[in-house]
Amino acid sequence: MTASGEDGPAGSTVEREAQENTPLPPDNVERDAMITKHLGLAQQLARRFLHRGEPLDDLVQVASVALVKSADRFDPERGVDFAAFATRTIIGELKRHFRDKGWAVRASRRVQELYLELGHATSTLTQQLGRNPTVAELSAATGADEEAVIEAIEAGKGYRAASIDASESEDDPISARLGHLERGFDIAEDRYLLDPALATLPMRDQSILRMRFVEGLTQSEIATAIGVSQMHVSRLLTSSLEKLRRQMGPEPAQ
Amino acid sequence: MTDPDTLGVGDRVGLVFPARGDLVVLARLVASVISARAGFDIEELEDLRLAVGELCLLALQGSDARHGDLQLEFTVSADALDISCTLVGAAPALQPITEDGDEALQLSEQILAALVDEHGRHQDDSSVRAWLRKRRRGPLA
Repeated sequence: MTASGEDGPAGSTVEREAQENTPLPPDNVERDAMITKHLGLAQQLARRFLHRGEPLDDLVQVASVALVKSADRFDPERGVDFAAFATRTIIGELKRHFRDKGWAVRASRRVQELYLELGHATSTLTQQLGRNPTVAELSAATGADEEAVIEAIEAGKGYRAASIDASESEDDPISARLGHLERGFDIAEDRYLLDPALATLPMRDQSILRMRFVEGLTQSEIATAIGVSQMHVSRLLTSSLEKLRRQMGPEPAQ
Repeated sequence: MTDPDTLGVGDRVGLVFPARGDLVVLARLVASVISARAGFDIEELEDLRLAVGELCLLALQGSDARHGDLQLEFTVSADALDISCTLVGAAPALQPITEDGDEALQLSEQILAALVDEHGRHQDDSSVRAWLRKRRRGPLA
């Protein structure tokens, strides 16, 4: 059994120790041989980071530069295995690359964008295929790999308002947390407050709201009725309810 | 667990799937969800996604990929997430690790060393178990 607890994650003890040591001179044959021998390692490590949306070429370049840095900093006298040392340095540099590019912010945006793209692709494919598309088909249509598609679908749910999440619960479709809203719709339909707000929505959105909250159809039933996917219906409902909520909600306190 | 959107100290999640490399995606997806709900930031989450894939590869080394299941267990503690991955039910098919397999194993070990705070692997006649611990930088969500 092995453990790495003493060294900690990338960029820590081993790397620091090596930086303090005498590096091999840049024209050292041994250094060049080490770099050549471990180019495959750099490529393999770059591939491990592929799912983050950066082109492989860029990642390989970052990893290769990090490999050279590793060789420059490496001191064979220390008895540390070069591959282990280089792996830490390369992974550290790859992570730094993403950090420097503001990846955390872009990642969430990328997921949101993919989620939106999936919505469009779902609608298009549903019409083309006459059925809901599979993840593999969505993957092919958007160019995102299947894992990213699944992740975006899951993550996309998280970007919706909490009350809409509740509306998609399998066990209790909408009544639990939107129940009072349904009653509200029944009552408010005849009220002056809702009519103008509803009127601002496209006719199709008004119909979908009516089917869902007045006629009590499920999202899948609505999808079948109007010839789009359930996912698309879900998105339209979310959007419509948010518009209505914005229009009907109280003014924020000054 | 009180908040349905978070995982708290002592919460455990298990996942079992056939020991096949193409299904490791399941482990990565579950690791994402659990990491997020256990309060890890997005960089730590990505580390854990990558690490859990390597953990599965560690456990798969020595099997012929036609027998057994991978059994993952995620445990949330006050300052860390522990993940173990055990290859079970593959005893008749456990293979000695080849030279290629040894290289792959070493690479996975090196990647884990760079991504998590502790990790290990143990193989006996009946099972292979790999484990990792990743400490959280921020407070428990």
